[in-house]
Amino acid sequence: MAKPFRVSVVSPEAIVWAGDADMLVVRTTEGEMGILADHEPTMAALATGSAQIHAGGEVITLAVHGGFLQIFRNEVTLLTDRAEIAAGDKAHARKLAEALAETDR
Amino acid sequence: MASAELRRIQRRIKSVRSTMKITRAMELIATSRIARAQQRVGAAQPYTRAMNEVIRNVAAASGRASHPLLETRAVRTVGVLVVTSDRGLAGAYNINVMRLAELRAIELGRAGIDVRVYVVGRKAQSYFRYRGYLIQQTFLGVTDTPGYGDARAVANVVMNDFAEGTIDSVEVFTTRYVSALTQTASSWTLLPIAPPIEAAAGAPVGYTYEPSAEEILGRLLPRYVEAAAFGILLEASASEHAARRRAMKAATENADELTRVLSRQANQARQAEITTEISEIVGGAEALTRG
Repeated sequence: MAKPFRVSVVSPEAIVWAGDADMLVVRTTEGEMGILADHEPTMAALATGSAQIHAGGEVITLAVHGGFLQIFRNEVTLLTDRAEIAAGDKAHARKLAEALAETDR
Repeated sequence: MASAELRRIQRRIKSVRSTMKITRAMELIATSRIARAQQRVGAAQPYTRAMNEVIRNVAAASGRASHPLLETRAVRTVGVLVVTSDRGLAGAYNINVMRLAELRAIELGRAGIDVRVYVVGRKAQSYFRYRGYLIQQTFLGVTDTPGYGDARAVANVVMNDFAEGTIDSVEVFTTRYVSALTQTASSWTLLPIAPPIEAAAGAPVGYTYEPSAEEILGRLLPRYVEAAAFGILLEASASEHAARRRAMKAATENADELTRVLSRQANQARQAEITTEISEIVGGAEALTRG
């Protein structure tokens, strides 16, 4: 079992998801990025796409549009412009994220 | 057969009662809106808090950060952003903010500094237009339930004008929602962004940046202003509903008191009328028996 770490996904209007996760996969402007516990302090810009949070055997898929990723003291904060928990798989989340980007104009 | 006096009082009672119906309805609506607005203020706070933390960390890590939005220039023109409501009937809510902003505008004018006004809400629009101020931009229809998009629109306009040099600083005049009972008109400088000095606490974090620190900061700062604008609009909206609730509660109570006074008057008028009638009948009967 991987060591858990704190993840929070916040958008300007609400906390979208917060809890302990074992692994996190996000899309930054530089490409896809996998994060485990004790990652070095990082600041990255998020792209439009999906994010998967692996927490206790479950996988939460989110659609994320823009924002920032901060890793600091074993805590990951996704400071998104828009984010929503997607019901389906990764492809669905990506489409949802694009829809979020579209309505953001 | 009611006398003219009695009819006049009854007409007034009717009109006061129908006004009371409206004020009570508005009070109820405002009450339900406060709860929602307050909840939205609370929901927006984690983002703002996280944003402040990130900005502090990046600023501390990248040392002397330079960005157009951080740049302090000689101030020749000040952008005055005034946040009011579209609709009235909210007591002193609007006038408090507008007066605060106007005093500052007069002060700036005396110092020979130009003022451009950015208004949110119809109330400020008519107030400042009537007084002959140069209104740079007007935002209407956002104060009731402000969305993040509204905040972004406001933030983008002032950021653009600031970056282009149309204005050299932006001062915001709005109402802070302290509690359900207290809302205060206040003002502070929105742009240029004050460098977060308290960052000195704790060693700077050696972040890995993806992309570069400058680029991250360049994306971060506009978001910071947007989030600040969103907070301003949300608090103003909650304050508006709270002020309206209070004003409408007072109005309903006044109307209630007024109907009490008026129905007492109506009763007196009716009694006086009956007394007159009786004495007329008695007088008439007596005149008959004597005759």
